[in-house]
Amino acid sequence: MRLIAIIFLLLFIAAGVVFGALNADLASFDLGFAQLSLPKGGAMLSAVLLGWILGGITAWLGTSLGHRRRRRRERKVESTTTA
Amino acid sequence: MNPIWLLALVPPLAFACGWWLARRSHVKRSGERVNELSSDYFRGLNYLLNEEQDKALEVFLRLAEYNRDTVETHLALGNLFRKRGEVDRAIRLHQHLVSRQGLSDEMKTVALLELGEDYMRAGLLDRAETLFSDLVAMDALAPSALRHLIAIYQHEREWHKAIDHARRLEAMTGEDESAMIAQFYCELAEQSRQHGARTEARDYVRDAFACQENCVRAHMIAGRLSSEDGELEQAIASYEAAIAADIAFVPEILPPLLNCYARSGQMDRAEAFLREIMERYHGISPVLALTRLYEGRDGERTAIDFLTGQLRKRPSVRGLMALIDATMDKVSGEARENYLILRDLTRKLLEGQAMYRCSRCGFGAKAHHWQCPSCKSWGTVRPIHGVANE
Repeated sequence: MRLIAIIFLLLFIAAGVVFGALNADLASFDLGFAQLSLPKGGAMLSAVLLGWILGGITAWLGTSLGHRRRRRRERKVESTTTA
Repeated sequence: MNPIWLLALVPPLAFACGWWLARRSHVKRSGERVNELSSDYFRGLNYLLNEEQDKALEVFLRLAEYNRDTVETHLALGNLFRKRGEVDRAIRLHQHLVSRQGLSDEMKTVALLELGEDYMRAGLLDRAETLFSDLVAMDALAPSALRHLIAIYQHEREWHKAIDHARRLEAMTGEDESAMIAQFYCELAEQSRQHGARTEARDYVRDAFACQENCVRAHMIAGRLSSEDGELEQAIASYEAAIAADIAFVPEILPPLLNCYARSGQMDRAEAFLREIMERYHGISPVLALTRLYEGRDGERTAIDFLTGQLRKRPSVRGLMALIDATMDKVSGEARENYLILRDLTRKLLEGQAMYRCSRCGFGAKAHHWQCPSCKSWGTVRPIHGVANE
């Protein structure tokens, strides 16, 4: 299972490199406060990577914050009952 | 549609993909945690089964730290604390469980019951009584609560309340508690007899018979009441009925019965009765009683002959001691010294021996108890049959 995952990862990296190479011409982006000129393929891959990382962080924050909130509530109840 | 717009979908898709993967890995990790918890649980259980309570306590404490939602773990911990004598910790734990928000009613009543048991163990009987009474009033786990209440009333010797609750338990569970209720009436009869309220005592004996027709203890109390009132024939009938109800109590019943025979001058009837009992009862008490009877009536020689004959059939240290005592006067010099050594030896042998044992918990006692001091069962303490005992 792990080997398959590694093969897929390598395939995607290769596809990313090929995609980047095929779309090496610059595209300009206007962000309002700044103007950027980036290779089209690189910009696309960066956007995908950023989206993926942000999604991961959101999921992790959602679960761990919920868990912490629940523990804090239980501790509060415990301290009031033992006092 | 312009394919550039399709490309705009790629970052949100990547976001969703990242979110899903992170979520999945969290679920997987918590699954591993659950596995870890269950392996800990079984380890704790294993320690419990091996009577290694300290280690079990350690495992369960860690388990409770991991998973604060597991009520069962807390209940097991509380139980362990109580069994180890750390009642204050058990009380705190169960109080915390009871006050916990979002706990189901069912679990809350279990925690309340456990808390009541903690109070009982700590000797806070009034608090335990209030708690169990509330549970009975709520009709939650009422049979267990009623059993605990009965135990409290027995401890406080409030027999009327004990009877009342035992009847309620009987009605609730359909289990027969009549033997226990009869014992409560016997306790009341004994109390009344000691306070000189003889009519009241007889009424309680009647109540005991109404609960359990062949209650040995009620027969014995009736016999004692009649004997004290001078109604010897009635007393003899009661004692004989007690032996007929349960022959195991012969060592308890014979002394007052023989006293009644002697007072009414019916020693021939006593001899016939003892001979009949010896056929059915294989202990040494009737033999010793008959030996004493022969000694008084027919002389020492007949008594010794009878005793030696019987000791061959049923060897007994108590019988041997009686034989040594009876023959002591007939020997002198070195033989007498040896007899004295033998007598001391047999006395020491008997001194350390338990004469009665509870058939339920194995508690050994030198004197008879109607309620086992260890497991609190009624009528289970019986004479031990053996060479050094009965």
